[in-house]
Amino acid sequence: MNGYDMTDGRDTAHGRDTADAGGEHPRQAGTEALSPADERGASRACGDCLRRSWLLAIVSARLAYQARDRRRLLALLALGDEELIQAVGGTRRRELRERHARFTREDLHWSAGVQAICRHHPGYPRGLGLAGDRAPRMLFLAGAARRLEELSAAPTVAIVGSRRATDYGMEMARSLARGLAASGVTVAGGLSDGITVAAQEGALEAGGKTLTVIDGGLDVACPARRRALYRRLRATSCVVAEQPCGCETRRWCYTARERIVAGLAQLTIVVEADVDPGELLGAHVAKALGRAVAAVPGRVTSPLSRGTHALLMAGAPLVRGPEDVLELLYNGNPPRRQDSTTIRTNRAPRPTELEPRLKATLELVGIGKDTPAKLTAGSADAGDALLALGELELMGLLSRGDGGRYVPRESLAG
Amino acid sequence: MLARAHTFTIEDYQTRHVSVEVDIRPGLPAFTIVGLADAAVREARQRVQAAIINSGYEFPARRITANLAPGDVPKIGPGLDLALACAVLAASQQLPSEPLESHVLFGELALDGTVKACQQGTLAVAQATLNAGLHTLVLAPERAREACLIEGLEVAAVERLSSAVRVLGGGPPDELPEQARRGPDTPNPTGPDLSEVRGQHHAVRALIVAAAGAHNNLLSGSPGAGKTMLAQRLPSILPPLSRTEAIEVTRIRSMTGGWEGDLASSPPFRAPHHSITTAGLIGGARRGWVGEIVLAHNGVLFLDELSEFARPTLEALRQPMEDGRVAIVRARHSAVYPSRFMLVAATNPCPCGYAGNWERCRCSETELARYRRRLSGPLLDRIDLTVKLESEGALGLGATPLTSSEKARERVMLARELQAVRLKDEGVTVNAHMDVRMLQRHASIEPQAEDLLRRNQERGLLSARGQHRVLRVARTIADLNGSEKVRARDVGSALALRSVGEYAGARAA
Repeated sequence: MNGYDMTDGRDTAHGRDTADAGGEHPRQAGTEALSPADERGASRACGDCLRRSWLLAIVSARLAYQARDRRRLLALLALGDEELIQAVGGTRRRELRERHARFTREDLHWSAGVQAICRHHPGYPRGLGLAGDRAPRMLFLAGAARRLEELSAAPTVAIVGSRRATDYGMEMARSLARGLAASGVTVAGGLSDGITVAAQEGALEAGGKTLTVIDGGLDVACPARRRALYRRLRATSCVVAEQPCGCETRRWCYTARERIVAGLAQLTIVVEADVDPGELLGAHVAKALGRAVAAVPGRVTSPLSRGTHALLMAGAPLVRGPEDVLELLYNGNPPRRQDSTTIRTNRAPRPTELEPRLKATLELVGIGKDTPAKLTAGSADAGDALLALGELELMGLLSRGDGGRYVPRESLAG
Repeated sequence: MLARAHTFTIEDYQTRHVSVEVDIRPGLPAFTIVGLADAAVREARQRVQAAIINSGYEFPARRITANLAPGDVPKIGPGLDLALACAVLAASQQLPSEPLESHVLFGELALDGTVKACQQGTLAVAQATLNAGLHTLVLAPERAREACLIEGLEVAAVERLSSAVRVLGGGPPDELPEQARRGPDTPNPTGPDLSEVRGQHHAVRALIVAAAGAHNNLLSGSPGAGKTMLAQRLPSILPPLSRTEAIEVTRIRSMTGGWEGDLASSPPFRAPHHSITTAGLIGGARRGWVGEIVLAHNGVLFLDELSEFARPTLEALRQPMEDGRVAIVRARHSAVYPSRFMLVAATNPCPCGYAGNWERCRCSETELARYRRRLSGPLLDRIDLTVKLESEGALGLGATPLTSSEKARERVMLARELQAVRLKDEGVTVNAHMDVRMLQRHASIEPQAEDLLRRNQERGLLSARGQHRVLRVARTIADLNGSEKVRARDVGSALALRSVGEYAGARAA
């Protein structure tokens, strides 16, 4: 249900007559804290920012109409309330203005455990604060507000990419996130499909923390297939959303989400993407915010590498593994968090420490002989090759991909 | 005057003995049949009367009562005609009544006195005759060949009612048709051969493993990769049926009718279309209807395009696969059929068919998840082997075949022999049917291999059940290699062939 509709002057979803707010001047609500809303987790948000969130929910459908043009949408989102109403209100501008003026905190939906934090609060992520008006005025968050502070204070990297990634991309995203999380970097991303989800999982695998941005209200926008992941993220990390609870996902939310993801991070890494604008959305938005973009290379034959290769051609730094990312983040002076320069996270032996036969098999998989069929083609007996595959999988150096393929879990970089 | 003759009626997969008692006494001419006779049996009155008269015998113009005992068994079909006619002749003293006690008469009569064959169940009747201790089965020549398959039974073929009277009087039976004297046919596989499969060595190896241990398997691969081609070549590498198995298979075929005479030598291969209903697959659509899984008993059930089958239909496979038999219970009848088959399923890995081929597959994660949900988890849990096939592409045409069916079959038969010897006291013959207890007793696994399995379980890559499946397959691979013990490399191969949870990989994570 979308509780925010603009069919009527009243907030029908609540059945409440907002005229009850009486003669109070709406603008006065801006600076003072209201106690009932405090209990609902709005204590870290000022009235104006709450009003802004409410307005976004109300004009959500109108914004969806503008979602086609990414630049225009970003410009719209950077506008002030009055200008936004002017820009998208259409024939309903007057009505919108009236409701906007009458807004009280009760007009916003809340659900249990959701808190709000606005950009005037010191706990608001610094990275987003630097983006100025292009960042959201307010974030709703599930999980402790203190955790958001901690996580956004640490160096943050966004891992984004195609929603229909290949197993290679998925494994690369996972291993990048594992390595980064293990060295104390916060991984930012979304909760839709593909690369960005793999990155969240990878960070969790290493016991690290993530900043997850969800496109829509925190209570309604999580896809059913991600509920288990959502719960884990909520318990250990921090999930944030720009839209208030009850606001369903619309097309504009994707771009809005990418701008938060990119805004939270110092560096955005594109793991796998085709060349179309939808796939490269994260990279474009990060550039628009003036943030650095790096890319992971893929096979030149794969359409899902075209986007990343285009980024690399345009000068984006090349990322082969977590080491490269740390290099980029710290400009060659990584803090001494780890004894070794190589980040090992899954207790697997290094490829260089392997027995020769296992090493050979791993290298064969790496160069594309990645199915039992290809590995054993031409040999009289498949047993030894298959045993090597089994042992490598057991060591955590290989995992099963699509179509019976084995995928290396760690890149050979560094 | 009273006379009695023996025959059998078919009740689903079972036969029931029926004794036909005929009593003739003075009174108004009448012919009454009692004892739960169905329409076909009641109509026997007219056929029997005409056949007796047209064969030159006298039909007594007195009060005739025929009783089909036992009275609570429904008698079905026209197979009782011959017994009825002979009992009438004996009761009217046109035939000595003693020989009737030791003969079983099974056949339908035409009005001119010709004995016609019953389409269904001759083999079952022949078996039942022997088991009942009756030494001769009298029946029509067309089906004599089928009855001859039962060793130790005397079969008398009769073309006419008069020949039956001659046989009962101690005379010789009619000449058996030439082929009927032949024994079971020798296996002569003229079907497709493995040597026609170029490349795909891994898949062919997996198919041989599946055949050797009778493991259920799933072939998964993009369109045109050769899933169906491989599956069709499976019968050519399966060992021929043993005598007992062959009789079981032939009996089932004979029950469903429309089958011509020889003892089945090669295992059945059933490949129903995916539009099949549950009743079609399991049985029970009507009385005596046999499902595909029963027809696949001791053989192969091939389900092509597994994900297109209706979900309830596939779910219905679970219990028969577990028990090796299927109990069909309907309002008016219930029957238990054997159904121990090897399941071979083929499916595309995703809706477009190219999952894993990153240049071609454009299925979204949601589509994949939906597609994979169509396959029943518990059914996949009963599948020991998953074979992933890749298109060999243009290069594949130049590839060499791994082996020929003949060579592969030899290896399979050797492996089956090893299994049969090892499992002879367990009541099963192949590794796939070993339960956990037998597995522990017979796996004889090397410590190194056991360690590999244990570490896999500790890392969460294998469940306890998955471990047993891998071990069963590993045992078969060891048998194929002629190895007494299961070695680490056998376990390694089995691990590579195991079904992974979502069965296709990372994207369903």
